[in-house]
Amino acid sequence: MHVESGVDAVPAIRVVDLHKRFGTLDVLRGVSFDVRRGDVVSMIGASGSGKSTLLRCINRLETPSSGEVYIDGEPMGHRGQGDAKARSLAEINMMRRDLGMVFQQFNLWPHMTVLGNVIEAPIRVRGMSRREATALGEECLARVHLEEKSKEYPARLSGGQQQRVAIARALAMRPKAMLFDEPTSSLDPELTDEVLVVMRELAADGTTMIVVTHEMGFAREASDRVLFLHNGLIEEEGPPSQVFGAPKSERCRQFLSKHVQ
Amino acid sequence: MSNWERLVWNQREVLLKGFLVTVEICLIAFAIAVVGGMLLCLVRLYVKPLKPLAVLLIEFFRATPIFVQLMWVAYVWPEIFGWPGTFFAAGCVALGVQSSGYLAETFRAGIEAIPRGHREAGYSVGMSPPQVFRRIVLPQTLLASAPSIVNQFTVIVKSSTLVSVITVQDLMFQALKLVTVWYEPIEILTVTAGIYIGFVFLVSLAGKTLADRLRLRYGLAAA
Repeated sequence: MHVESGVDAVPAIRVVDLHKRFGTLDVLRGVSFDVRRGDVVSMIGASGSGKSTLLRCINRLETPSSGEVYIDGEPMGHRGQGDAKARSLAEINMMRRDLGMVFQQFNLWPHMTVLGNVIEAPIRVRGMSRREATALGEECLARVHLEEKSKEYPARLSGGQQQRVAIARALAMRPKAMLFDEPTSSLDPELTDEVLVVMRELAADGTTMIVVTHEMGFAREASDRVLFLHNGLIEEEGPPSQVFGAPKSERCRQFLSKHVQ
Repeated sequence: MSNWERLVWNQREVLLKGFLVTVEICLIAFAIAVVGGMLLCLVRLYVKPLKPLAVLLIEFFRATPIFVQLMWVAYVWPEIFGWPGTFFAAGCVALGVQSSGYLAETFRAGIEAIPRGHREAGYSVGMSPPQVFRRIVLPQTLLASAPSIVNQFTVIVKSSTLVSVITVQDLMFQALKLVTVWYEPIEILTVTAGIYIGFVFLVSLAGKTLADRLRLRYGLAAA
């Protein structure tokens, strides 16, 4: 599926021995994995297994206790090429724009219109003109099938629509990869599908994605690889056919038997 | 000629002059209160080393009676700081700093009520902390605080009646002067009270209309 040569040999995201402690609680205890360009990686596991923390450490909304994350070979936490100096907040901000984040609670800004939410960062961060950004914003809203809602305020949208706007907002920065933190967990069951449809379309378009999810159907059908986390470690990893079909780990088997009908 | 005509209608220019001074003082004090309140709030929340100073000032401004504050700013500040130079300025400053203490706490509550995720969403698209504050936190804080801000303006209007004690010639000052000239308090003071009530009512109404309109626009429930 992927040509392992030249630039493509550098993974889009590389996580190396990531640890995260909150006080005395070890949430991540040494997690390493690669995400190749265009791959969709689903992270599953019980609540408290460290999935969301792992995702938040990748774009540094949480600072890892140790370990490193590389985006296209560039380390997030320190300057590369032998310079071990920690990156400043401004540099981390620069790198964050390459990672689109979609939150469980949508986190749209309620005082801006749908289009305003989408074009805010292209204008403020990328320095685009309003006209340019609007064209881009409308294109992104079309990708999530909400072009007709561009002038509405978020409070007037359903949860599923809000989450699709949040996806469009992340896409508008043209990120190298998209991170989804339980994007359908706060939605009513009848609204999850419209969000999953958009995510499947993104996956089919070759978007690099890491998806923390409880939607086993999505993980099984739309991902290239599935990671099962347990107690801050990757307990099982492989293509969905293997993880869902013939899991090696007993814990993974138990988890799946509870969550897959 | 009725008393109303003699004491009120024929004195309308004096009363109007006083009312304009009241409006002027209130607007200046309000501007000081909003800007000062936001500064105190920001220092309290984001400038660690100066936080105790901000808390001290906020509590001091809030705890001091406005009468004492007026006297203190008008007669003590010029001795210590060489400023303010006029009683008018002292009146504006005293009213302004007292309300700034209250507004600082209003703004703090507004800022703390904004879900952390709204800021994280800003950081995750590469916005800097100042951008996140200016574009995401501040507008929402002002929106949420709008009713309290308007309310604080009405407090300033009512407190402003005391500036006459430091000889600022506001509406109350002019009214009291007329009373002492004619020894006829009923009509003059009743009309003066009516003017204050009308002013406060209009400000409240305008504030409520504005707040409702904003809430409607952003799809939030009416208060």
